[in-house]
Amino acid sequence: MRDRLYNIICVALVSVASVVSPAVVRAADNETTAHAGWNAGIEAYNAKEYAAAVEAFESVVANDYASAEVYYNLANAYFKLGQQATTSRPFAGGELGRAVLNYERALKLDPTLDDARYNLDIAKDYTNDTEAVPESFIARLWHSMAGAMTTNGWVILSLSSLLVTVVLLLFYLLNGAILVRKVAFFVAIATVSLFILATALSLTQLKAATTSSRAVILTNDTTPVHASPDSASKIIREPSQGVTVEIERSQDEWSEVRFADGEKGWVRSTNVEII
Amino acid sequence: MLLSIIRVLPFVSYVSYVTYISFCSLCNKTLSEAFDKYRRKSKFYMMRIRHFLLVLSALMISWAAVAQVSFTVDAPALTALGQPFRVAFAIDAEPENGSLVAPDFKDFDILAGPSVSRGHSVQFINGKQSSSFNCTYTYVLMPRESGTFTIGSASVKVDGKTYTTKPQLVEVIAEKQGASGGTDTTTTTPENRIGKDDIFLRLKVSSSELYKGESLRASLVLYTRVTVENIESLTMPPFDGFWSQELTFDNSPSREEFKGRVYETYKITELLLSPQESGKIVIPEAVMNVGVQVVVQEKRHYDPIFGGRQVYRVSRELKSAPVTINVKEFPAGAPQSFNGAVGNFSLRSTMPEAEIDANSADQIEITIAGTGNLKFITAPRIALPESFEVYDTKVVDNCKLTPTGTSGSLTYTYPFVARSAGTFTIPRIEFSFFNTETKAYETLATEPFTLVVKDDGSTTATVPTASNYSNYGPMRQLDRDIRFIHTGALPSKAAAAFILTPLYWLVIVLIVALFILVFVVLRKRIRERNNTVARRMRHADKIAVQRLRMAERYMVEQNRHAFYEEMLRAMWGYISDKFNIPVSNLTKEKIREELYRRNVAEATAEQFCEVISRSEEAQYAPSTTGEMDEIYAEAVEVISKIESAVKK
Repeated sequence: MRDRLYNIICVALVSVASVVSPAVVRAADNETTAHAGWNAGIEAYNAKEYAAAVEAFESVVANDYASAEVYYNLANAYFKLGQQATTSRPFAGGELGRAVLNYERALKLDPTLDDARYNLDIAKDYTNDTEAVPESFIARLWHSMAGAMTTNGWVILSLSSLLVTVVLLLFYLLNGAILVRKVAFFVAIATVSLFILATALSLTQLKAATTSSRAVILTNDTTPVHASPDSASKIIREPSQGVTVEIERSQDEWSEVRFADGEKGWVRSTNVEII
Repeated sequence: MLLSIIRVLPFVSYVSYVTYISFCSLCNKTLSEAFDKYRRKSKFYMMRIRHFLLVLSALMISWAAVAQVSFTVDAPALTALGQPFRVAFAIDAEPENGSLVAPDFKDFDILAGPSVSRGHSVQFINGKQSSSFNCTYTYVLMPRESGTFTIGSASVKVDGKTYTTKPQLVEVIAEKQGASGGTDTTTTTPENRIGKDDIFLRLKVSSSELYKGESLRASLVLYTRVTVENIESLTMPPFDGFWSQELTFDNSPSREEFKGRVYETYKITELLLSPQESGKIVIPEAVMNVGVQVVVQEKRHYDPIFGGRQVYRVSRELKSAPVTINVKEFPAGAPQSFNGAVGNFSLRSTMPEAEIDANSADQIEITIAGTGNLKFITAPRIALPESFEVYDTKVVDNCKLTPTGTSGSLTYTYPFVARSAGTFTIPRIEFSFFNTETKAYETLATEPFTLVVKDDGSTTATVPTASNYSNYGPMRQLDRDIRFIHTGALPSKAAAAFILTPLYWLVIVLIVALFILVFVVLRKRIRERNNTVARRMRHADKIAVQRLRMAERYMVEQNRHAFYEEMLRAMWGYISDKFNIPVSNLTKEKIREELYRRNVAEATAEQFCEVISRSEEAQYAPSTTGEMDEIYAEAVEVISKIESAVKK
């Protein structure tokens, strides 16, 4: 009986190890490849070998080591590669679209990454993206506030303000001195407000970071946008690579996209990539 | 008149010379005396004035010298067959009698002449007498046939010298038959006596097909074979689609053949039109109202002496025919630098010196000269290096209007300051235009120019120092490029969002649980503390009673010190327990305050305090037994008073 139990435990341990250890080994493998790719990318970028830099940074992403910085460096490498191109015109290989995509991905992960925002602005100069419909003042204020910190930053702020609120409430409830109770009460009201605000902002950030409807047009040149999911229908627009759109729905191999100015149309799904 | 002026000229020149001499001496004197320090400058001006006056007087003298005898012929250049015309030879001096040798007029019939008319006028100007004289020999000729004929030279002798006229060409044309409707005598009304062809208005254009940017000359001309009395009104057509400028023109009447008939022509106005759009542009009609004289030979009232001629005045509205101008677009293949310049131009440039100092100002000058639409030319672009501070381009317009278009030159000045040292190349400056003669685009360009900017030692453009910082102005955005990549160690994987995860909820639950736990524990403790206080308060009088009993015992033992000590402890302790105030915080003032707050009578509070004071005094002072009794009784009384008051 006892031996049997022992055997069962042994078998279970071995099977768990056989499942887990390759995963552990793979994870370790991934980490070393990612590190190598990151360093190789930086070196290649410094040597102005942007094609090699793109490959290296892509390998970091492929090894599941994506972060805002990796996407940012990858986008930079794409942008420089497109500018460096010796062909008749810059970005002939669709590098501009890839650069915009990766800047957007970097910002999605970390909206506080200033450099990515700056470079995205420059890259956008090369596209024929339309002016966005201006948001209301409140919406703009709200989004700029939300963008000041990452989701986790807001969560930490909200939880710590909750903790402070609790401590202040204890003071209010248990202390005998009137002044202490008064101060604790009003400060607690402020911290509760901060808790609600920070939670809401972090939820806004979470929504922005998890929605997958935004996409970038990826082509070598311009993409025809049709009025209906049918290549014979009228072409209503010709956005260049790197134009950011919202994907509304998909049908067969077509996607309905909405441009920043509100215009809608259908493009082939292969021509857009979700951020 | 002219003659008289010429006669007077020597005198005028003399007067001006004298004036000039006196002026010069005056200037010399006053200037040298008064404006000594400006002498140099004034001398310069004096020189100029002297120069000017010298030239002027020389000119006058030469005119006077040329004032010779003139002998001219006056004959129409164009005439119609069957119409007599006048040829006049005029001389402004007294010719020798019978010295006129007229040409033979072999192609014409002489209807009359030579008739001689003489005129003589004498003028006194400032006491000086001058006289002018003229003499005209007039012939009336009738052409025999159509063609171009020459009226030969006539000669005349004055004071032994022979003067001749130049030969004059006369074109005789045969007018079309039936065109002379104006002289139809069968119609009675004077209005009908003027045919449509006798007077009309015509808008003449120098070309009806041209390129955009080219200009054409349009003149409104009145053609007439009848006497025009006056012009009543004139409405110019709107020159829509054109930029029009008025030209100065010679408005003397002339003769012209039109559709086989000879007309007197009067130029009303002349304009230079530059089309502003391409396509067919129609210039609508011009409308003019004129008053015309009509002479009618009255048949019924024929007067042998006065001829019975009746002169009528007839008003006529004249309209010119609309003119269509075809404005062509420029042909394809315009060069990059083409900016709509049309005409024929030349380009000249003045570059700065090949070597200049840093931070010194210099300029490039470009001159475009020629004929064409100079008014619409924009300054050619010059790509100066980024480190050059470029200022506004200045234009000097030196154009004048001519019948063929605007001609002259435009001089563009591009001032700049080279801020940093180095060798720079100013690329070729291009200027393209459409040549209307060859119908092709032409591009003019300057040679590329290499400019060496020497470091002036004081500054370098890259590191501005405080002393010259203000020269730079606000920092300028030159060109944007993306920011550099992030280096350093590989950042950790992007953390997943923490919010709404189980851990997040756990943290929230933990915080709430902590709150509840702390609250419950602390509240329990607080409640317990509150309970002891209440008990103490309830038992305050009992403790006091126990202490008073203790004191009573000491009183019996006659232990004064212990008695008073116990008394004080009983009284302080009573208040302390009753009102939950630590003994160390108690003073008599505090006791009075507390009692007052609890509505105990002031007298009672006072009594209580006095008992305490007396006990304190008596503790160390020698005293009698009766006192102890008194204090004891008083203390018991006052405590019971307070007890009853507080309980209420």
